[in-house]
Order: sequence, then structure tokens, then C-alpha cells
Amino acid sequence: MRRCFLLLLFLAPVSAFAELDISDAWIKNLPAAVPVRAGYMTIHNPQSHAVSIVALRSESFASVELHRRLMQDGMMRMEAVPDLTVNPGETVQLAPGGLHLMLMQPVEPTRPGELHRIVIEFDDGSQQGLEMTVRK
Amino acid sequence: MNKSSIVIVAALALAVGFALSWFVASNKPVALESGTWFGDQARALPEFELLDHNKQPLTRASLEGKWNLIFFGYTHCPDICPASLQTLSEMMGSIEDPDVTGALRVYFVSVDPERDRPEVLSEYVRYFDPAFIGATAEMDRLKPLTRSLGIAHQIRNRVEGNPVYDVDHSSAIVLVNPQAEFAGLFGAPQDAMAMARDMTRIVEYN
Ligand SMILES: [Cu+2]
Repeated sequence: MRRCFLLLLFLAPVSAFAELDISDAWIKNLPAAVPVRAGYMTIHNPQSHAVSIVALRSESFASVELHRRLMQDGMMRMEAVPDLTVNPGETVQLAPGGLHLMLMQPVEPTRPGELHRIVIEFDDGSQQGLEMTVRK
Repeated sequence: MNKSSIVIVAALALAVGFALSWFVASNKPVALESGTWFGDQARALPEFELLDHNKQPLTRASLEGKWNLIFFGYTHCPDICPASLQTLSEMMGSIEDPDVTGALRVYFVSVDPERDRPEVLSEYVRYFDPAFIGATAEMDRLKPLTRSLGIAHQIRNRVEGNPVYDVDHSSAIVLVNPQAEFAGLFGAPQDAMAMARDMTRIVEYN
């Protein structure tokens, strides 16, 4: 029983409590001279309760934020989104021209085909890991 | 002068006038599926001087003789600029007629001159297409050009000494004709295939 409990503790930070269904998670590659990347994905909340993303991190990037594009005074403007709530049954798209992950200062230059691990932190303290593929 | 010679002179004048307008009006009406064509409303660009990614001057005269597609942005832009440059690259790749591609030039003009030095621009534009040309200039040299094209841009959240800041900018692709006139506009989000058909029509009909 105790061993079982320990095993659960060990698994907990990863997918044991995966709250969201995340698919098609990818990073748009850019040349090494550019120190930012955008990340995109489809997020679906299969739970019966709302889920809020409050923080993101990755060992591959100095920082990861959620950003939104909006049109203002005829210009495309970028704005940080401090937290994102996905309601029960809701699907949110992170796509070019809208919401995106802002992955800043890659530790090493990214290359198409690579996988980078991102950790999502929720408002209840739980976490979910995901792999994002770098695409040309 | 008798009646018939008046008719002949009038007909001649008409023919010459027609021929002249044919040569002068190089902006024949073209129905675009994905952009706006200014036709007779095309207007001359002001004189300007930017520096391209090979550190060569890029002036109004450099644009003459080609159909130029110009996108304004900055390399630290994670989403909009890469998407537009990729669209332009796909557009060029999907045009099969070499006479059409040979008549086109694609420019990326950075509105973030401080970070986008020629070396950075060179690596950046060539990532999307080796034929693309990157260019920029100090703000006071850049502004008259962007203003004349209706391209708005603004540096935001700039803190002295901090290299992280945003640049708001218009996302349209500007079309400049071989007479260096502002001839049309492709608003975002742009579609590579539709733009390829539009540019083929423009080059073939003009
Ligand atoms: Cu962003």
C-alpha cells in the first residue's frame, strides 16, 4: 500500500492528473538570430469543472508566457495573458494571429523535428507536461 | 480645311491620345481576389534611402522595373511576420511561369532598426527565401516611407537597457509597381495561392 502511494506521488507531477486534452502542439521554428518562438496547440477541457492555466515553464527556454494578438489603431499588437480559463467542454485554439505561447530565449538554437517539453501549472497547484514539436 | 480632313485629324488625335493613355496608364484595371488594386489612384512613393541586408542602399529607384511586394515587421515578431513571410515564400514557389517570378521582388522592411542589424536581417530573410531582400533604416528615415504607404508602427514597452520590447505594426503587404508607385495592398491574413494568382494576373496584364 505504501509502495503504491509512493508510486502515485512520483507520477503526480506528470500525467496522472492531466486535466486538459492537448493536441497538435507545435513550435514555429525561426533562425538562431531570433530569440523568440511562438507555440501553438488545441486545448480541450474534458472535465466537469473549469481549469485555469496560471503559469508555464520549460527547461528549453528562459521563460514561457501566454500571449494574445489584437488589432489596435490599425496595428497588430501583442499582449500578455496572465491566466487562461478553459470552461468545461470548451476547446481553445492557440493559432497564428491569435493566442500563442511566447517561448523566450531558447537555451539552444531550435531545429525542426525536435521535441521540447513544456510544463503547464494550474490554479489548483497541479501540473501537466506536454511535448511540443518544432516545425519549419 | 475641308470636312473630311477635319475628321481624319480628329481620328488621328484620338488614336494618338488612346495610344498615349495606353502607355501612360500602366495600371490597367485588374480584378484581384485577395487584395486591393488602386488602378489610376496609384501614387508615387517619396524619395527614401534604406540599407539592405547586404549593406547596400535601397532607394525608390531600386524598386523601378519590378513588381515589388513589401512587408513591414520585425524579426523578434513570433507569429505574424513569420506567417506573412512564409506565405510570400509559398506564393513565389507556386508561380510556375518564370517570366512572372522574374518580374517580382519581395522585401521585408524592419521597423525595429535597433535590433535588426543587416546581419540579423540577412539570416532572417534567407531563412524564408534566399531571394528575399531585408532592409531597414533609422526611424527618421523610415517614417516618411511608412507614412506614405499607410503603414503604422510603434515601439512599445521599451525600457532603457532591456532588449525585450514589442513593436506594434500594420500587417498588410504593400504592392509597388515598376514605376515605383504605391499600386495596391494585400491585407492580412494573406493566402499564398490567391496572391500567386493575383500577382500572375497583374504581371501578365500590365
Ligand atoms: Cu507573443
